[in-house]
Order: sequence, then structure tokens, then C-alpha cells
Amino acid sequence: MPRISPVTGHYVTVDVDDVQYKVFYLENGTGQPLLCQHTAGCHNHQWRGLLEDEEITADHRVIAYDLPRHGKSDPPENTEWWKEEYRLTAEHYTKFIVALCDELELEQPIFMGSSFGGNVALQLALRYPDRFRAVIPVEAADYSPGFYLDWWQHPHANAAQVCASGVWDLMAPQSPEADRWKTWFYYSQGSEAFKGDLYFYSVDHDLRDKLDQIDGDRCPVVMLTGTYDYLTTPEDGRRTAGQIKNGEFIEMEDIGHFPMSENHEVFRRYLLQALDRIGSRAGAQA
Amino acid sequence: MTAATTTPTVEEWVRSFTDATDRDPEIQAHGKYFTCGYLLDMADHHFVVRMTSGKVAELAIDPGPLDVGYQFAIRAGAETWRGFGTEVPAPMFHGIWAATFRRDMKLEGDVLVLMQNLRCITRQIELLRTVGVPV
Repeated sequence: MPRISPVTGHYVTVDVDDVQYKVFYLENGTGQPLLCQHTAGCHNHQWRGLLEDEEITADHRVIAYDLPRHGKSDPPENTEWWKEEYRLTAEHYTKFIVALCDELELEQPIFMGSSFGGNVALQLALRYPDRFRAVIPVEAADYSPGFYLDWWQHPHANAAQVCASGVWDLMAPQSPEADRWKTWFYYSQGSEAFKGDLYFYSVDHDLRDKLDQIDGDRCPVVMLTGTYDYLTTPEDGRRTAGQIKNGEFIEMEDIGHFPMSENHEVFRRYLLQALDRIGSRAGAQA
Repeated sequence: MTAATTTPTVEEWVRSFTDATDRDPEIQAHGKYFTCGYLLDMADHHFVVRMTSGKVAELAIDPGPLDVGYQFAIRAGAETWRGFGTEVPAPMFHGIWAATFRRDMKLEGDVLVLMQNLRCITRQIELLRTVGVPV
């Protein structure tokens, strides 16, 4: 018997702000949609463990997409994108995610993302609280300065290696070596988009004076942060969740900024806690 | 190799760090162009490491101010370096980026040369987890 994974891939066309994208996504499972955003400069294969996690896919339809310009999703189909510097903004990023949900006809998905995907999860809870059953911001914070650096694209350095080794010690030394190296490898592939993604992550995303406008009852927010994350530390996550109405925070021991790809076995334990909390909140409101 | 349990003498450390570098499969697999000189400032001691094609060509112990040239410097207090020199470093002692963002580490000089050699430098600093630090 051929050892074929149950994970399938598709393209879907998404229009947002008069820009058209052909978006590649992977999916597996049935039930409650769980929409997953990769980290900056990366692609959906970071979620490979989750996509094949039978306990979670038994009652969740896990969908992990490649943001345009990442993985198998091309840059825009209908613009001369090569004539502009790529800089991702909160406005466009959130509109894109909502348009993708519309196109896939997802009803009340749970949105989960890590790093710049975690930060956009907070933006979604603020801007579109009624479109999501809940959000799970992973390795996120109200503000995360310091990583919009020219080094990611410096022509006198090997950008692929700088991107990959520059994020190496965002991972925990306890995570399996093979998984850390896979995460490194993903980063060696994304250098052209990484810096533009980080414009959102470290510059445009700033919710320091808006967290009190996120209603965690309308859109539950359960944040997860690893102890080895030096960019968005557990203290940052705890502080952020503490300023959101009924925001929740879970600290993850011995893991870093890429929990889903650096150590899925550890990450899944905390994710199940987060999903339980979201389920309990929904049960209490019913 | 086993984790360092006691503080090595300076001479022991130079020997073991050189040996670990020159025998490291990763540096030897990817270090063909790992040629540069850098200062490791560990407060109690400082060293200039001169690399040629992935091998330690020279490791100067506590050189005088004008004795040995280098392109960039990695500086931190002894406590930070001791954190690096444990088998499983605690958070923020586990890499030069982490320690620069969250502790007292400073990356100085021609940082471009550091970035050009980032993969090998990152690995070489991780060798401190097995050879320890002489401070």
C-alpha cells in the first residue's frame, strides 16, 4: 500500500483590495474549522504535525494556507508587484484573511497563527470579532519591535542563511534537532518575503493603546507563548492577554517561537488546553 | 563529548574549543568560506579567534589592545557566558540573538562579517555547551 497522507492541497482564488491571489492551502479533518497562519517568511508546512494529528483532525477541519508570496502561493496575479517594495500592513493582512474565509465559506472558524500570525490574530479579534469563533495568538504581543532589519535582504550576505540562522535561537534547545533543522530549512526558502512580513510584525502592528477595545467575550482570545521566545516573551504574552477583556494566557515550557514546527508533540499539549478553554467558553454561553 | 561540569582553565578551554571546532561535522561540512577574525569578550578574559576555511588558525589569549586585529566582537559579562556554557542553556542564554535582545550581550564592529558567517558562528558558539567557558 502506498503511504499517502490524508492531507490534501488545493488552490483557491481570493480577491482583496482589487488584488487577486491564487492561494495554496493544505487541509485535513472534519468539523470545527481551524484556520492556521504560518510565521513571517515561511509557509504552511510548519503545520505538518497538526495537519496529521488524528486527535485534533477528528473534530476539526485544519486548514493551513500559504500567505501570498509564500510557499506555493504566488505574488499578486494582476499587479506589477515587482515595482513596489513589499510591506505587509495590518489593514491588508486582515482583509485578506477574511476574504479567504469568505471564499472557502468557513463559518465561525477558529483562527490560529504564530509570530506575525499571532499578531494578526489579535488584529482580527479587534477588527472582525464576529467573524471568528475564537483566536489563538501564538508567540504574539501587543507590540513586537526590533526585527524589521535590513540584514534579512542584505546583498553582501547570504540572505537565505541569514534568515534561517537569524531565527535559529528563537527555538528551544530541548526541541528535537531534526525538527529544528526543518524549521531552519523553511526559513532558508523565504528571504524575499521575510523583511516585508516583518514590516507588519515590528512596525505596523501596534495595539498598545487598543487592547481594551478587544472584547474577549465576543471573540475569545487564548494566547500561547514559549519560554525560549526572546522576541515575544511570556511576560509580553501575559501582559497582552491581561489587558484584553477575559483574555487568557498559557505559558509553554521548554519551547520557542515556532512551536508547531520545532516540537509539535510539546505544542499539541498546550493547544489542546487552548481548544478546551474555547470549548468551555462556548458551552458556558450556550 | 560531555557537558562541562567545572570551569576549564584558559589553556584547557583554548585546546578543547579549537579541537571541537576543527572536528565539528557541521562546521566542516559548511565552513569552506568561514574565514574571519573575531573577539570573544568574556569580561574576565578575552580571546581573538582567527578562522581560516572552517578551522581555527589562531586563538589569542588576552591579547593587548593593539596586538591582534579582528573584524567583529561578541561581548558579554561572565554570567551570560556561563549561561552559554551549560549543556541545556536557560532561556535567553541559548544564542547570541537571544542574549543580545534580552541580556547584556553586544555585537560590535563589522557586523556584516558576522552576518556573512552567521551559520558557522552560531554553531561555533553552541560548542560552548559541551566545552564550557573559562570564566
